[in-house]
Amino acid sequence: MSISKELFKGFYKENPVFRLALGLCPTLAVSNSVQNAVGMGAAVTFVLICSNVIVSMIRHGVPKKIRIPIYIVVIATFVTIVDLVMAGFAPALHKSLGIFVPLIVVNCIILGRAEAFAGKNNVGRSFIDGLGMGIGFTLALMALAIVRELLGDGKLWGIPVLSSGYEPVLIFILPPGAFLTLGLFLGFFNWLDIKMQK
Amino acid sequence: MNDIVKLGGILLLFSAIAGGALSVVNAITKPRIELQKKLVLERALTTALPMANKDAIVPVEQDNMLYYKGYKTPDKQDLVGYAFVASGKGYSSTIETMVGVDTTFTITGLSILQQVETPGLGTKIEEVRYGESTPWFQDQFVDKTWNGLAVDKDGGNITSITGATISSRAVTKSIHDGLKQLEATVRQHHSDM
Repeated sequence: MSISKELFKGFYKENPVFRLALGLCPTLAVSNSVQNAVGMGAAVTFVLICSNVIVSMIRHGVPKKIRIPIYIVVIATFVTIVDLVMAGFAPALHKSLGIFVPLIVVNCIILGRAEAFAGKNNVGRSFIDGLGMGIGFTLALMALAIVRELLGDGKLWGIPVLSSGYEPVLIFILPPGAFLTLGLFLGFFNWLDIKMQK
Repeated sequence: MNDIVKLGGILLLFSAIAGGALSVVNAITKPRIELQKKLVLERALTTALPMANKDAIVPVEQDNMLYYKGYKTPDKQDLVGYAFVASGKGYSSTIETMVGVDTTFTITGLSILQQVETPGLGTKIEEVRYGESTPWFQDQFVDKTWNGLAVDKDGGNITSITGATISSRAVTKSIHDGLKQLEATVRQHHSDM
């Protein structure tokens, strides 16, 4: 597969959220505002790239039997780094993402890519895969967040964009709104897929 | 058996490297994180006590109550007010608020220190409306005393946030209770004021 295909597969064809349905818990939780979505997306992308590169580098030295615990150690290390750096340098973002930063450790996208891709491919490809998947995850989060923040709060990036007469549909920024929006997006992409195959 | 030792050894090696890397990152970020925490507290104190000199706010502990005394001048003359942390159980978190009062126990300012309420609802206790510079919910408390302090649904003078009565009530009640306690504590030690 060419490098560009490796990069772009994460955007649509193998989009972690919409096509693989991976990492849904943070997707549901932090897609209530575009700001949170971008912050979370950036954090996940960073961890994904770093863990993919390291896992790919050590893939020949890791015994098969204990590869999962070792992957988890690698991932947890990078997540802790992100958590500490964010607390020190971007306290506002750290506050609003809260518990979801440490929870990146158990985000299935990251372990999934380590197991399915980085453990079998070279460093360069693993880096590209991490970048593509990270961007794909960020785009998916943003797509959900745009819909939810706009309908649920009448704002985008914290700035009101709908007229003051607009009564926000609160349910969209609450958990049920996350399920609704995600379900509609998944349905749309499946429909698009069927259409395109015909 | 040999296998277990070997695998355990490899895992130990990886964990040791990860631990080493983390201790380096921790050493670098620790002073920054502590600085941020200090800044948050300082900012909250200056918001709560705008009339006090920011270098002359000192913590005091009396009767198991921790509060701050604010003075007008850097050499700690001229007591202008008190500040304390009110804490109450909200909808999904404990909400902590730094509250400042003048010497007549009238609220001069407040600032939410910590809350993890429902995004878009409870978090509106910190919402700053577009084009404004201060959070409207908190502004309501300024110039009020604990007497009669309650949300409108309880017959009080604070307009609660639509869809977030529990969060609004938690903030209001914690301030009411804390302020009442502060006044009692300070008055009891009136002689050393």
